[in-house]
Amino acid sequence: MLTQMNIRGLLFDPYSNAYIVVLRDERNSDMLPIWVGKSEASAISFALENVTPPRPMTHDLIKSILDNVDAKILSAVVSDLKNNTYYAKIHLWYGDSEYAVDSRPSDAIALALRAEAPIFTTEEVLHKQNSEELERWLENLTPEDFGKFET
Amino acid sequence: MSVEQNTDLIPLGVHGVLIDRKTDTQIVILRDQINAHVLPLWVGKTEGDSIRLALDDGVTARPTSHDLLTSLLTHLGVTISHVVVTEVQNNTYYAAIHLSANGLERTIDARPSDAIALALRVKRPMYVMQDVLNKRNGDGEEAWLTRFDQKEFDEPDA
Repeated sequence: MLTQMNIRGLLFDPYSNAYIVVLRDERNSDMLPIWVGKSEASAISFALENVTPPRPMTHDLIKSILDNVDAKILSAVVSDLKNNTYYAKIHLWYGDSEYAVDSRPSDAIALALRAEAPIFTTEEVLHKQNSEELERWLENLTPEDFGKFET
Repeated sequence: MSVEQNTDLIPLGVHGVLIDRKTDTQIVILRDQINAHVLPLWVGKTEGDSIRLALDDGVTARPTSHDLLTSLLTHLGVTISHVVVTEVQNNTYYAAIHLSANGLERTIDARPSDAIALALRVKRPMYVMQDVLNKRNGDGEEAWLTRFDQKEFDEPDA
């Protein structure tokens, strides 16, 4: 079963020198923190803040190509979690068929935001993530930690 | 006029990717076969890494953004015919990706780094407009490039 997720915020984790996209379900009962690289984080933050860079970034290019060939992004689904790696699928409509393409969650989220398409995850992924430690860590964050990316 | 007949289009390949340690950027060196034309392009770290990965036919555990783009095109049956570095304005280079979908040809505006990363993955040719090579004030760059030794060309730090 799919649960729709919203982006709660984008954090910087100084310990791993990486960024964390925090997804939260609509009832605010489940959180999914996903570690992403710097350039993917900036691709996501540009979309969150509606910033249009002077030249198209990689995800803008992907969106532009899909728009040009009349392919429509239906959704992004964080579909699996194996060995601490999240997997995602981008669902598209093209011609008269639906396609599901394997992706990193960061790329799927960056594209879904640009296409204003919903982001989902599965109950299984939400259950699988060993989140106790993460939740403790997230609870200790102050709103300021979320900075200007808070939505 | 076909791409091959267009004498304004100079075919170039990627000779190597250099690391500029001072600025955390990378420099993609485009060059033709007889070394008559050299075009260095400054790109971001992610794009430089992605181009180097494609040059080495490397595979990562999970798809990079350019692998994803390649995979999307393959799934949808969209084919790339070629890419062109079309213009330089105020030190910013512009590129175009020429593709065909359902028999219709389209041209998409792109940064050269994305166009090159994509062309390498789908093994399609890349060109630069003769005008870009003419416009470029290359003296300073070439002097600068000669300061790199061959080792840095071949084995940049990851």
